Amino acid sequence: MSSQTTNSYVDLIKNGIFKENTIFKLALSLCPSIAVTNNLRNGVLMGMAVLFVQVMVNITVSLLRHFIHPRIRLPVFMLIISGWVTITDMTMAAFFREAYKEMGLYIQLIVAFASILARAEMFASKNRVTPSLFDGIGMGTGFLFALSVISFFREFLGKGSLWGFPIIDAKPLLIMVLPAGGFFAVGILMGFFNWIEMRYAKKQRSS
Amino acid sequence: MTGRDIIKITLNLVVIYIVGGIILTVVYAWTSPIIYRNDVLEKERALKELMPEAETIEKLGDWTIHDKHAEYFIGRRGDEVVGYIVQSFGKGYSSYINTLIAVDKDFSVQRINILGHAETPGLGDEIETEGFRGQFKGKDKEYLQVVKTDTKDYIQAISGATISSRAVAEDAVKNGVGFLINRIREGKDGEQSDHE
Repeated sequence: MSSQTTNSYVDLIKNGIFKENTIFKLALSLCPSIAVTNNLRNGVLMGMAVLFVQVMVNITVSLLRHFIHPRIRLPVFMLIISGWVTITDMTMAAFFREAYKEMGLYIQLIVAFASILARAEMFASKNRVTPSLFDGIGMGTGFLFALSVISFFREFLGKGSLWGFPIIDAKPLLIMVLPAGGFFAVGILMGFFNWIEMRYAKKQRSS
Repeated sequence: MTGRDIIKITLNLVVIYIVGGIILTVVYAWTSPIIYRNDVLEKERALKELMPEAETIEKLGDWTIHDKHAEYFIGRRGDEVVGYIVQSFGKGYSSYINTLIAVDKDFSVQRINILGHAETPGLGDEIETEGFRGQFKGKDKEYLQVVKTDTKDYIQAISGATISSRAVAEDAVKNGVGFLINRIREGKDGEQSDHE
């Protein structure tokens, strides 16, 4: 592997985390980003589930891209996605029982994530397996990162704990664990990330 | 669209369905026994926790409340009956609260446990706390009433979550205990006959 291609893989991952971050930049999949992020554990597990599904779907679609007839590519992508989501769903039900009880419904909803179908259609169906794999890792990690940050702030501010362990003996901002707080957290963090990016872009231009 | 296309599309879909179906079957066959075993284990643990003084806890039968299926159990130590456990549901603010209630052989409440609910985080979910659940110890059915002031005789409501508190005390626990009294003490087959 030449350094040229290594670089492009790193770029693919960076692209998913920063430039095209599903939640902070594209504002997609906001429903789960509010619904399951009132504690850190659920946020991280949801992010990992999406990361896994995105990577597996990208690999599968990329492997099958010459086999799938273009006229039926979307139904086939949906079948692939729902297959992987069902596998994730059953595995989580078996091994992450406690978390699954609270977020089982949202795991099944991964089927309907626009971002996963979009990456399959726009990237994986046109690229070889390795770049598709890295694209999946990038997009999935971006989602995991966003959900972790949101749920970190929501659990800490709303319950004074992290991952279920009490950190401070107070509930500074109870509203953060309620649904309304989810909108505040997502909105404020989205603004913050865009502000950082604007500053970064300005600095690059002036130098 | 030519005939070749139609054949290719059919082949595409058939292969994907078959391969996907096989993979899902394998995963299901692998995970479903684990899920089932965990369910059973969790239930046993929950029952044991509720009635540590019992040596064996045995299922007596089923009943329904709020159109939900629930079970009841008898706890024995040797040949002696130490008490009963009943599962019950209470209609809360935003969910049905799934509750397990342990009573001694005189039907006075010993412990309760909240198995599942979807009440408001931070307010209604205080029903899970030891502070709230502890109040039920030693309460007879007549004292399962929620009041908003300081109380030792009755159940004190959680501030900001009166509906959830009532759902547990006056709906789930009261009806559960009422059902046990009817079914076991009086031997009546009164399904929810004490339902208010």
